[in-house]
Amino acid sequence: MLTRISGGEIVDPANRRAGKGDLWIEDGRIVEAPQGGVADRAIDATGCIVMAGAIDIHSHIGGGNVNTARLLLPEQHAAHLQRPAATPLSNAGWSTFETGCLYAKMGFTTVVEPAMSPGAALHTHLELADTPIIDKATLAILGNDDFLLSMIRDNASPAMVEDYVAWTVGATRALGVKVINAGAAAAFKEDVRTFSFDDVVPSYGVSSRRIVKTLQAAVNGLGIPHPLHVHCNNLGAAGAADTAAETMAAAEGVPLHLAHLQFYGYGTEGKRKFSSAAARLAELVNGTPEVTIDIGQVMFGQTVTISSDVLRQFSARGTASPKKTVIRDGDGNGGGVVPYRYRNDFYGSVQWAVGLELFLLITDPWRVFFTTDHPNGAPFTTYPALFALLMSRTAREEAAAALPKAALALSTLSSIEREYTFEEIAIMTRAAPAKLLGLSDRGHLGAGAVADVAIYRRDEDIAKMLGAAAFVFKDGDLVVKDGEITHYRWGKALRLNPSPDKAMVRRLEDYHQQRYGLSLDWFTFPDSAIAREEPFREVPCRS
Amino acid sequence: MAVAWIGNRETLVERAVAHAATLLGSSRCPVFSFDTDIHGTRAAIALAERVGAAYDHIEGAALARETALITDKGAMTIAPGEARRRGDMLVIVGDLPKEYDGFLADLANSVPDLSERNAREIFLVGTGRAMPSFLNGAKATRLAAGKTGLAATLAALRAQCAGRKVSAPVSKFDDFAAALAAAKFPVFLFSGLTSDTFALEMLQGLVADLNGKARASSLHLPASESGWGSALASTWMTGFAPRTGFARGFPEFDPWRFDIGRMILAGEADLHLRVSTGKPAPVPKGKTLPLIMLAKTLKPVAGAAVTFAIGEAGIDHDAIVYRVRTGTLNSVAVPAASALPSAAEIIRSIGGHVSPEAGWPC
Repeated sequence: MLTRISGGEIVDPANRRAGKGDLWIEDGRIVEAPQGGVADRAIDATGCIVMAGAIDIHSHIGGGNVNTARLLLPEQHAAHLQRPAATPLSNAGWSTFETGCLYAKMGFTTVVEPAMSPGAALHTHLELADTPIIDKATLAILGNDDFLLSMIRDNASPAMVEDYVAWTVGATRALGVKVINAGAAAAFKEDVRTFSFDDVVPSYGVSSRRIVKTLQAAVNGLGIPHPLHVHCNNLGAAGAADTAAETMAAAEGVPLHLAHLQFYGYGTEGKRKFSSAAARLAELVNGTPEVTIDIGQVMFGQTVTISSDVLRQFSARGTASPKKTVIRDGDGNGGGVVPYRYRNDFYGSVQWAVGLELFLLITDPWRVFFTTDHPNGAPFTTYPALFALLMSRTAREEAAAALPKAALALSTLSSIEREYTFEEIAIMTRAAPAKLLGLSDRGHLGAGAVADVAIYRRDEDIAKMLGAAAFVFKDGDLVVKDGEITHYRWGKALRLNPSPDKAMVRRLEDYHQQRYGLSLDWFTFPDSAIAREEPFREVPCRS
Repeated sequence: MAVAWIGNRETLVERAVAHAATLLGSSRCPVFSFDTDIHGTRAAIALAERVGAAYDHIEGAALARETALITDKGAMTIAPGEARRRGDMLVIVGDLPKEYDGFLADLANSVPDLSERNAREIFLVGTGRAMPSFLNGAKATRLAAGKTGLAATLAALRAQCAGRKVSAPVSKFDDFAAALAAAKFPVFLFSGLTSDTFALEMLQGLVADLNGKARASSLHLPASESGWGSALASTWMTGFAPRTGFARGFPEFDPWRFDIGRMILAGEADLHLRVSTGKPAPVPKGKTLPLIMLAKTLKPVAGAAVTFAIGEAGIDHDAIVYRVRTGTLNSVAVPAASALPSAAEIIRSIGGHVSPEAGWPC
């Protein structure tokens, strides 16, 4: 089918295209305007902005910890709508089905679950396969697992570490690698209660820094497109800006991605010893071109924090609201689920301001990524309101007026005039994520790209405009019309597939037999286990 | 091979599917109970939404106790692999499912390789009189607070650990306290099989207290592996554990209201669809209802309006199941699948007949 989207304002920074024009789609791909072509379907986009489908690089949408959070909080996600005929279970609050639908309505077509425990890869992919419409991807967690820590302790060769990382990424169908508070979960099992970048995991004699550097080198050496995705130590602590700064300095010219930097943007000024250090971190990011970051913006309201940083989550148990938590010591990281309500009090307001400062003070939209670390800073359903804050200084001033002046006095937010343009939004949420993840087939509207297209009807109310797309195409299929889902389709999980080294597979088989009394088969699965047609789509590594 | 019956009469699967769909379509309050793999669960929940049914696992009572622990209080738990590798002190709390004896024997008779102690000390709280067979000769110390029950014993243990006096002290508490002081990572093993909700909460309170000064955790051994697997799938599909109903179109979670056994006994339900992974499981007592039965059977189930012979997940066909040995979902591949259809296949077919025009989510 040939589709013509006409009359819209194209915003496609990857192809330096901006202004009114037509867009043509055929067989799931964007194509050049055909000579004399007659469209089978015409979409009138007059008065609309036309962008590629958005990509979220860091959103906890599926897997063991997310599901535990659902189980912990049935009172938080009751649904209130009648059964939908065309989209079964899409009214089930916080279900995988609702997640896919809500993302699609906002024009997001690809979402990365950034914390997949390798041992729970099958569970994670089953959940993602039940998340309709959007494409998904995962990052496999390494850095607290005995196998890797033992290799580092024993000075294994870089090639051997690469073999292990390659096997993990391939067997778990991941798109990249994440390290979460490197070494801390292992240290916590030995009753260590705080853990910084140069602290050492007792039984291994290996520092957090060494784990990060080892994994960074392996990811880079394997040609994994996405740089090592780092959740730093000391998340949420006053003074954590020092930790983030140390970690950035450790990049040493090799690509490194720091996740949810907002949660490290805290200084120790003021009488409460809690202040914004966002300006300092933004300056560091601006001066460190090999570093990319996502924000993890805080928005006020009830949420639940879900993290494989089990040490941090354990220490946050006292802040739980409501008062119930799950803390799990896993085979590697484990995780913790702590419900939390962000209030517009002093501390919440500092956190809110830090995120916005980072967004606005980091000058290169190709290196800063739009996230709330869903649901840790806020649910992804707050994205439209967050877009409005970034695109309007007036909106920020109105929101800030209701916050404690003492909190805002410890940040630079009120002095920042910058307002994001649609082009910058398109870079940050489309072109740059595609580049960061190595997804050349999306994030832009050039010929050959997958026809993931989001069309928004212009409105002075940015949150309204970007919260409910007029039209969304996924792989050329019109799935959203006037902000409503028309039908389901089943997206793919994007994955790398590096060849496993046979010697490493034998070694892992022996390891699992000896240490767990189980065959390695218990930790792997065939594609057919997902019970969807072609559930995965392969993405190449850099050659 | 005949794989379907309407009443006692053998029939084509397609006819049985159509008849089951008709029964479901005319039901005002259908209830589903199942004991099946992940894909069977997914299909059953999708059908439940379609026909407005309430659903529960066949071992719903024990499962409800385990999910209530999470929904009401939360927990500190450990992965089975980590328990095996770090647990230098094992405390077995209450009776554990017999199905796990092999795993427990492996645990009791192996050493924790990631612990500097390289040995395990074992305690029993509230288990039966005889030493569990899985200990296989391994030494274990029994703890009891007089003739009180499990919850009271755990409460006394918790109080004594906190340095408080109790009216009925726990026997051999000094041994327990000494072991705790020496242990690097005590692990408490529990199940919802026999432990009541209060005992489970008291145990978690004890574990939380111990973590104030040192490390400890608990290993959850679900009363039913398929039950916990179904709980996981139900939670990601609807946001809720089983004992969820779709009577009003959207999912509602209510462990009392959607207790299928209670609904049948109270006469609230008017149709029962039951899925047994192996042999037909006994139907809850109460008002006799039209029954749609899916089970591994060679003959029609007595009293069932429709019977489907299905394969056993992981035996007759590939399956995804929860396993206590890994604490997560695992893929089970069978060398050669039998001719029997899976529960998921039959349920999907019924769903297609109930409302062929609507989308099917899994």
